[in-house]
Amino acid sequence: MSYQWDFSPVLTRWPLLLDGLLNTVKIAAIAIVFGVLVGLVLALLRLSPRRSLRLPAAVFVEFYRNTPPIVHFFWFFYALPVVLNISLDPLVAAVLALSTQSGAFYAEVFRGGIRSIERGQWEGAKALGMTHTQLMRRIVVPQAATRMVAPFVERSFELIKTTALASTLAYGELLYQAMMVNSETFRPLEVYTAVALLYLVLLVSCSALARVAEARLTAYR
Amino acid sequence: MDYAFDFALVVETFPILMRGFVVTLELWLPSLAIGLAAGLVLALARLSRSRLMRGGSLVYIELFRDTPVLIQLIWFYYAFPILIGVQLSPFTAALLALALNTSAYGAEIFRGGIQSIARGQWEGAKALGMRHADVLRRIVLPQVFKLMLPAFTNRAVEVAKMSSLASVLSVHELMYQGRLLSSTYYRPFEILTTVAVVYFVLIYPATFLSMTLERRMAGKG
Repeated sequence: MSYQWDFSPVLTRWPLLLDGLLNTVKIAAIAIVFGVLVGLVLALLRLSPRRSLRLPAAVFVEFYRNTPPIVHFFWFFYALPVVLNISLDPLVAAVLALSTQSGAFYAEVFRGGIRSIERGQWEGAKALGMTHTQLMRRIVVPQAATRMVAPFVERSFELIKTTALASTLAYGELLYQAMMVNSETFRPLEVYTAVALLYLVLLVSCSALARVAEARLTAYR
Repeated sequence: MDYAFDFALVVETFPILMRGFVVTLELWLPSLAIGLAAGLVLALARLSRSRLMRGGSLVYIELFRDTPVLIQLIWFYYAFPILIGVQLSPFTAALLALALNTSAYGAEIFRGGIQSIARGQWEGAKALGMRHADVLRRIVLPQVFKLMLPAFTNRAVEVAKMSSLASVLSVHELMYQGRLLSSTYYRPFEILTTVAVVYFVLIYPATFLSMTLERRMAGKG
């Protein structure tokens, strides 16, 4: 164990890594927005009284929850374009994979939150003459939303970690940039340790932010 | 969408995918078993009276939980061998990374379980003259083991999904075979869809079991 650590070749290439970090944040932000949209649609479908809407949504959600994300990435990047006869940019393919996958998980978060509101409250609101929209907007959603915060944050955390898979499609996020730096410097120990620490800093600061947000959103309780 | 699905190719390549499936199992089950066993040790360190043990295990757990799994795999394959001076095979590196990752998550499951047992039981057992290890083995773990089962099954699901990332290190598991075959035949749609279905068949039973266990427990509680 006489290895001489030398971070200087890595540190001089910090613009490459910063670029990667920004791309990681970018892809995560886009995927969270689209994931929430996909999740909302799926949750509404799964809560629908009609079986013909519930069933396909359930199959979609279960399929995504029970297959590895790397398969989704490759499927969107290599398989889908062949079928549709188009070509997809790595960023687009990665966002598609991430947002459909996390959409499936978000759908469960939303559905769980809404279903956690007791039947009596629905009945009470109906008895007061509220329409379905009114009772959702005034009674159910405000209460359900606070219960959704913690699982929502957890899923978003998983999403940020999953963005590293975009490197397998050669999208220039943090891990891919690290591979580039490694091929220039031949210092895998320093490069991958530094990048792991960058991820750690990113995720720990996200979780600190999330804690503040959670405290505020659930302050009235 | 007039794409012709080549079903004959799926049948032809299926034995090769199955060979990968076996490697997936060889990676999945040992890393789960080793990881959970190590998780118990870590949980005890987290709950220990020594500040050093508590701090050290906390850092370890957070390092694994707050960085992407993919970078952990890459780190153990490309960076770690430099530290120890021994080259690891892709399979060993993947197994190591997956087991250590599982131990960090497993530790949190054990910690939650152990902490859920009221102080009085510890004190009672100590008063009867049991040693710390005896209390744990005879009193605490038998009670919480059942409670932790859904969380363990859930971990099994996650580890199965993570094992697909070993394809990045060219471990010849299911996803790797799928990637290889889809580029050999240039039929990514057929092959990758089949790979996804095989993963689903592997993982869904575990998800189903975890849901059933959770429901049964909720019914009892």
